[in-house]
Amino acid sequence: MSEAIAKISTRKKTPATSYRTERLKENWHVFRESLLGKLGLILLSIFALMALCSFIPPLIDPMYNPMSGVDPLVSHSVGPSFRHWLGTDFIGRDIFSQLLGGARIAFMVGISAAFMSIFIGTIIGMVAGYAGKTVDSLLMRFADMIMVMPTLLVVLILSSLFGQLNIWTIVLLIALFRWPGVSRVIRAQTLSLKQRPFIDAARVAGASHFRIIFKHITPNVLPLALLYMTFRVTSAIIIEAALAFLGFGDPGTVSWGMMLQWVWKTGNMFQAPYWLLPPGICISLITLSFYMLGRAMDEVLDPRLRSVKQMR
Amino acid sequence: MEMKKFILKRGIEIVIIFFVILTTLFLLFHMAPGDPISRMIDPTMNPEDAQQLISELGLDQPVWTQYLYYLKNFFTGHFGVSFHYGRPVLEIIGKRLPNTIILFTSSIILSALVGIFMGKIAAWHKGKKTDTFMTVGALVLHTLFLPWLALIFIWVFAYKVGWFPLTGIISAEVWTNPNAGFLLKTLDVLHHMALPLFTLFVIHFGSYLLIMRSSMLETLREDYILTARAKGLEEKTVRNHHAAPNAALPVITSIGLSLAFSISGGAITETVFTWPGIGRELVFSVSNSDYPLAQASFLLIALIVLLSNLVVDVLYAYVDPRIRY
Amino acid sequence: MAMLLPLLFFASCGSRTAADTLRIGIAEEPRTLNIWLASDANSRKILSQIYQALYTRDPETLEMIPWLAEKSPKYEPDNLAYTVKLRPAKWSDGTEVTSEDVAFTAYVIKKFNVPRLISTWRFVKKIETPDLYTVKFYLKKPNAVFLTRTLTAPIVQKRQWEGIVKRALERKKPLATLLNEKIERPIGTGPYVLEEWRQGAYLHLRKNRFFFGKGRIVNGRVLGPFVEHIILKIFGTSDVAVLALKKGSIDFLWWGIQPGYIDDLLKDKNIRVFFSKKSALYFMGFNLRKPPFKDRALRRAVAMLIDRQFIVTRILQGYGSRMLSVVPEGNRFYYNSQVPRYGFGMTRDERIRAAYAILSRAGYTWDVPPIDAKGGLVAAKGMRLPDGRPMEDFTILTPPSDYDPHRAIAGIMIQEWLRDMGMPAFAKPMPFGALLQKVKAKHDFDAFVLGYGKLSLDPDYLRSFFHSSGDKPRGWNMSGYRNPVYDKLADASRAAMDPEIRRKLIKQMQEIVLKDVPYFPLYNPTLIEAVRKDRFEGWVEMLEGIGNIWSFCELKAFAGGE
Repeated sequence: MSEAIAKISTRKKTPATSYRTERLKENWHVFRESLLGKLGLILLSIFALMALCSFIPPLIDPMYNPMSGVDPLVSHSVGPSFRHWLGTDFIGRDIFSQLLGGARIAFMVGISAAFMSIFIGTIIGMVAGYAGKTVDSLLMRFADMIMVMPTLLVVLILSSLFGQLNIWTIVLLIALFRWPGVSRVIRAQTLSLKQRPFIDAARVAGASHFRIIFKHITPNVLPLALLYMTFRVTSAIIIEAALAFLGFGDPGTVSWGMMLQWVWKTGNMFQAPYWLLPPGICISLITLSFYMLGRAMDEVLDPRLRSVKQMR
Repeated sequence: MEMKKFILKRGIEIVIIFFVILTTLFLLFHMAPGDPISRMIDPTMNPEDAQQLISELGLDQPVWTQYLYYLKNFFTGHFGVSFHYGRPVLEIIGKRLPNTIILFTSSIILSALVGIFMGKIAAWHKGKKTDTFMTVGALVLHTLFLPWLALIFIWVFAYKVGWFPLTGIISAEVWTNPNAGFLLKTLDVLHHMALPLFTLFVIHFGSYLLIMRSSMLETLREDYILTARAKGLEEKTVRNHHAAPNAALPVITSIGLSLAFSISGGAITETVFTWPGIGRELVFSVSNSDYPLAQASFLLIALIVLLSNLVVDVLYAYVDPRIRY
Repeated sequence: MAMLLPLLFFASCGSRTAADTLRIGIAEEPRTLNIWLASDANSRKILSQIYQALYTRDPETLEMIPWLAEKSPKYEPDNLAYTVKLRPAKWSDGTEVTSEDVAFTAYVIKKFNVPRLISTWRFVKKIETPDLYTVKFYLKKPNAVFLTRTLTAPIVQKRQWEGIVKRALERKKPLATLLNEKIERPIGTGPYVLEEWRQGAYLHLRKNRFFFGKGRIVNGRVLGPFVEHIILKIFGTSDVAVLALKKGSIDFLWWGIQPGYIDDLLKDKNIRVFFSKKSALYFMGFNLRKPPFKDRALRRAVAMLIDRQFIVTRILQGYGSRMLSVVPEGNRFYYNSQVPRYGFGMTRDERIRAAYAILSRAGYTWDVPPIDAKGGLVAAKGMRLPDGRPMEDFTILTPPSDYDPHRAIAGIMIQEWLRDMGMPAFAKPMPFGALLQKVKAKHDFDAFVLGYGKLSLDPDYLRSFFHSSGDKPRGWNMSGYRNPVYDKLADASRAAMDPEIRRKLIKQMQEIVLKDVPYFPLYNPTLIEAVRKDRFEGWVEMLEGIGNIWSFCELKAFAGGE
């Protein structure tokens, strides 16, 4: 008897797996039909392209280095020209290269923060859902508490204690305050998975809690977590931009928020629209694109939101 | 009576959370690199004055005793002396608090009301041009970068067009005029509040609109709406008296969920518009390494966030009896 | 809302006429109105209109001229005594200014050891008041700063402070009590008095009808003041303040303006821009107490690599000048231009070669030297100390960019120039208070970029900055420079009462400082201020800007036509 059960639990293609593939196919179809999803994807690809291209300008000429490259002929802020597609900043650095570099930083910040918060949130969510009762209650209370705190202001007070923060510390801090959202969703999934027969089967076969969580629950929960949460990166990008704008960012990184800080503090705010507008537009558009993709994901997850075309 | 129990329960939770925040900040204060005493006491203060403040704040005591002092001082308002202003911190934040409350509360109420109203209309005209226009508009406005938008508003409305003051909360011209009465002074404050309020409104109402819209769409599918229509009631009545009030509930929840975001936004707006509130004071004091003021501002903001959450939860419980337990 | 706006406009028109109110924009709230506590610039700006001193500086010649005093002090070399006769003057409450007030001021400074003032009053042994209008100062030993620093201290009214002082002395902590005394109505002798201070918004000053300079002609200038009211509006950010000036809500921006605004302001027909020289020193400082900057050769090489022209042209947008010496060029009497110039006027190529020469001679090596086998320039990598070990990372501390973008960016550029040479340099912007803590109090740093925005014209600071006695926690000698030869010269310069002897000594001291470079002078920014042409006229240009006592005494409403 136990042999048969053991065989069932070690079989490669479990019912759970094929169910998963089916669902993925369906989700992709829904996503493809969503207008918001398409728009979001297009915008995001543009930014991704920008980020990839950010390595090119310094190779053409050292004066295009966003941080330290100055044009020997230009020593103050000038408007767009053939040499400088978006003009220069106040000491003669190329704004377009800075914009490209900023795209790279935005992706790095957004994705790293998202992954870190997914990692933390998934673990906590799974443990809470699986353990139930007191542990669950405590962890969720803890999550509530974290969720209530305004991340920007917490990073501010931490920077007053620990000094100027570098970009990775900022990313970590942001992640430490964004995981509650992930953990809730993961917990809900875990709760529903907990009831499934294959989990029972595994438990009967003698698998430890640990093994159950990592070998059985995680694979079912993770794709959802990744898909769902990757599009919640917007707040990480905005928080980093706001921090840089206020002057608390990492001074060694040229992010869009930092560009806005420079244009503000050096008095070029109202004279240099070619410097003021691009970073702000980029931050707003990347937020918009992630938001649109997130909405498309919502349509994938919640059938009621789908339009007629998305219905099979 | 359940309501009272509910408020009590939530109230106790908030007290616990606040204690955890207080304690965490205390621990971080001691773990951070550097000398805790010189972080709390201005190093340029002369030694005698510094010594008095140190004993008042209990900074020369062992850590456990210090914690008790810290709690006691927090509840008696002894937050230390600001490095920058040279005045007791309590005096400073006391003056800033009302300004933040006025701006913050008005912006939330205004955004929520307009968001609900427009979301209702958008849902009603689903699929048509009005709906698309509103939805796209809300989406775009909601994702604009707040500090950048604030700067552009200052440039356009306060400078180019000149309808609004550039900064601050009052005009010296009005307030030094011995003939200016109370009404005039109030109008002056409102005049200054218009732009920051408008900026916050633009950023926030979009999300409320979208939530109201989808909530309204769901509600309209409910059975009791069908019943209302079957009863022969006018569409307008059905929409405004039956569907909308219920559809508005998720908006209230969302206000609660996004409070953290709203407070951060409030702090940024206060900074750019130089609106003398607690948010701006926090940003300003961190730039100046004025730790006593920064700590007190932060704790006060945390308190505001928690209390706002309570208010929203109570409001929601009042409106929707199902969630009281 | 639209209906309310006209109401507001009408209301503001009904208030006092615009021509009698000068509206000034300032950066931040002043910290206090207590003259003994006022250390920040904004408090001092306000209080300088209220409290006056025995002597002040003429705006053109910069020489000391009598102000509350009637004429130059009489010197008795045998007694080391100075006699000063007071001009007839009244306090803003109508009572007379007497020698008692002067003696009382000195008493307070010495008894309480008032910070910032005590250093220039310590050597005053005794003060006598033979009659109500005569004061006699006895010095312990000859001191060159007596005339320029001691006699320019603000005089306070005995009547207002007597009671406060008495109470403070009874307390356990007298100085703290004195400094924390909240002064709501400072009584002074200046052209204006405080009418109202609305915290966070504005200060309102009103003409002092008892001002002793009223109607007088001092050095050919007719003094007023002629403007009845001054309102100082507090702005949080400079960009909004500039907009306010352009819009016309303020008449004068009493705050250095960033070069980015210049073009726009120069185009505006209603605005006049003033460019004033500052007596300032913005410099890079090194920590001589530990490696790597213990080694003079390294400091000299760094000095060589810094492109001061770049800083002035790009970072200051041309509004400033390179500094050769630690004494500003504008201080013509003491300035020594014959000091080592380092990279002054060199191209990047020349700079790197020169630094390379200094460093290789001192025994430094590289994994990849900046000069390759063929003699061409390459990006150097991995500099090594003379003992062969690789150089450890070092930091260059700077103020943050929102406090001072110039210094922050200068730090970053210096980092890049040094890295070109293979040095592991890291620019680190840091909140200003924390920066001062590290540098001044704890001496825990490698290098920094700081500045003294308002150096006194008297070069006594050369002694404070580099005398070995200043090398202590919170002392002015932040770099830890200890040179007995220099100490001797510095002491001699302090005692030298003869200006020519003093000048020679000061020039020698500059040479030594530039040879050893504990501090490397970088730039002297030009102060940019702006006013509305169509509102007031009579601004007096002076070193350190137009916000000086002479402007406030001479300013009149603009009378000109269209």
